Amino acid sequence: MLDSTSHLNGAPFLKDENQGLYEPSPRFKNLAKVCEYSSKSNTAVAAAIPYFQEWREAAHQIKKYSLANLDKLLVQFECNMKARGVEVLFAQDAAEANRLVLEIAREHNVKSVVKAKSMVTEEMELNHVLEGAGIRAIETDLGEYIVQLAKQRPIHLVTPAMHFSADEVGQLFHEKLGEPYSAEHAALTAIARKRLRAEYLAADMGVSGCNFAVADSGTVVVVENEGNAGLSTSTPPVHVVLVGIEKIIPKIDYLPLFLNLLGRSGTGQKLTTYTHLIHGPAPGKKLYVIFLDNGRTKVLQDPHAWESLFCIRCGACLNACPVYRRVGGWSYGWVYPGPIGSVLTPHLVGLEKAGKLPFASSLCGACGEVCPVKIDLPHQLVHLRHRAVNEPSPMNSTFERLQWKLWAWAMGGPRRYGLAMWAVRIGVRMAKFLPWHPDKLGAWTRGRELPKVPSHSFRSWWQERSSKKGKS
Amino acid sequence: MSSRDVILQRIRSGLTNAVAAGFGDLREPPVPEVWPRTNPESATLVSQFRTEMESLSGESILCPTMADARWQLAQLMQTAPWPRLGSLDRPLTRELTADLPVDRVDWVTSDWTPPQIEQLPAGLITADALLADTGSCVVHCSKATERLMCYLPPVCVVVARVNQLAEHLPAAWGPISKTCAAKDSQGEIVLITGPSRTADIEKILILGVHGPKRLVVLLVG
Repeated sequence: MLDSTSHLNGAPFLKDENQGLYEPSPRFKNLAKVCEYSSKSNTAVAAAIPYFQEWREAAHQIKKYSLANLDKLLVQFECNMKARGVEVLFAQDAAEANRLVLEIAREHNVKSVVKAKSMVTEEMELNHVLEGAGIRAIETDLGEYIVQLAKQRPIHLVTPAMHFSADEVGQLFHEKLGEPYSAEHAALTAIARKRLRAEYLAADMGVSGCNFAVADSGTVVVVENEGNAGLSTSTPPVHVVLVGIEKIIPKIDYLPLFLNLLGRSGTGQKLTTYTHLIHGPAPGKKLYVIFLDNGRTKVLQDPHAWESLFCIRCGACLNACPVYRRVGGWSYGWVYPGPIGSVLTPHLVGLEKAGKLPFASSLCGACGEVCPVKIDLPHQLVHLRHRAVNEPSPMNSTFERLQWKLWAWAMGGPRRYGLAMWAVRIGVRMAKFLPWHPDKLGAWTRGRELPKVPSHSFRSWWQERSSKKGKS
Repeated sequence: MSSRDVILQRIRSGLTNAVAAGFGDLREPPVPEVWPRTNPESATLVSQFRTEMESLSGESILCPTMADARWQLAQLMQTAPWPRLGSLDRPLTRELTADLPVDRVDWVTSDWTPPQIEQLPAGLITADALLADTGSCVVHCSKATERLMCYLPPVCVVVARVNQLAEHLPAAWGPISKTCAAKDSQGEIVLITGPSRTADIEKILILGVHGPKRLVVLLVG
């Protein structure tokens, strides 16, 4: 679901100068430092395991097999869960998923909801929808809680508030919660604990995502470190799981592999602090699982794009990406940032809206090297670039095509090339007299001095040199 | 047509294209070994488990006999101090708390409410297995109160026997997968690997953000 905070109108990196590529605020410098630290930690943990490459290959093959049998596995999961009294529902898009959640909330007379971290609910903008229906929705993951209080989007898949300094969090808690200012990490965490404890105990419904949905056993797997998912899913009488259809894995016996990969690639841990294997509702409780399509079946129509659905949302590709480190998550315009966002978003919201994202990469290959399920992200990006220039997208607009036609014409002969270069030299000389930084080009010109144009072009210099040599 | 059927139809249509492109006809991958089995001796497992617990800021206390474990529990209660202890009713917790005065143990039954459990100074639970290489406790919670006992009290005390130690997750996986697949399974199995933690603010590690601030494992045997 695209809302007012989404900005995929063809220039995602330039929407806001504070979020833009060329004028990062100090908080983004913090982001680069944290990403570098996380990436080094992930790499060191992986390097310490002699079987890590075998694990990646095995996970890749299992994910591929899962997609090749997705219809059967979804039905198998549904049958196993239903046998234990779980209601399994399906939603074609975010609007339908929101409607289903609201229906469940109304049926159980829900007034407040506690939410564990879930990227699918970010896709749905569930918090806004619940609030619109008069239901209080509270994010319980500390990072998500901070981001929700600041009315921002998460900047990272795993650590949503990594751009905040302790000082900024202290000010935020003071302004929004009326708590005494502190920049002490332990004091800030204690404030969140005190506030959220009350929310868990008062909530009528808990909402979580799902890291893996296991077909042969009918198990919802949720991993976390804080204990907020444990509390959100066990304290209220109703638990709703929202899960993308691609999160299915066929067998419970594959799970140790994925748990080992996810902890290490996500946070550099051998295992996350809490790993929940939920088989059904405890007596007296209700459990719902809602499977969301929201564009995922479109990816299946393009077999070369399948790998993008293998993602286990560890965030390793974000930490490794030099572009992400520089620009942060909001620049990607929607829910999923970083290299995986540049691949997933065009599939899920359409190339016509997000066709520029695959070009937001230096194709250095770092993302593909760290992906624990071996998604070939650089080739996924190249594949999408190919599609973006051949299908309706901002990269295939009339203006874009005209530019490339002009370029092709200019490159088509030496005279035309010379003429074009002459025009460029004039243009660069004149540009410094412009009193303003024009539109999108301004994001470039504001941060740079234009190069000095030499008096002669290389071609004229070469010709002069050759004629002098001929004379001598 | 229901949304379920529409989605399944879309998937099947996508898979038809994939089969044509050579993506669909795949054999089921074998279950990877993940970690090789080395079957180390009990002393090695204990040492490894305790080292891992320490690195996770958890506490483990080795008690050669149940009498030692009772003494250690009494010491914990006195030092903290916990005027009383909430406990799940299990043979091992009954055995462990046998020497405690009746008014110092609250037996948490399924009619306890979350606010009641939240008021407990510490909760005593049992583990179904322990994982040496990660310092994890495997806990099966079929009832809501059993789940809440893992997360709500500020201190979580786990009692387990040394012979429940497995070298790693794959070595303990048989009973876990059997429980997950059983038709009548309820609730959850939770793997607890250290006290609740966060590093969401500037990557600084803080314990006890939502769940227990302290995790103490009493290893008996």
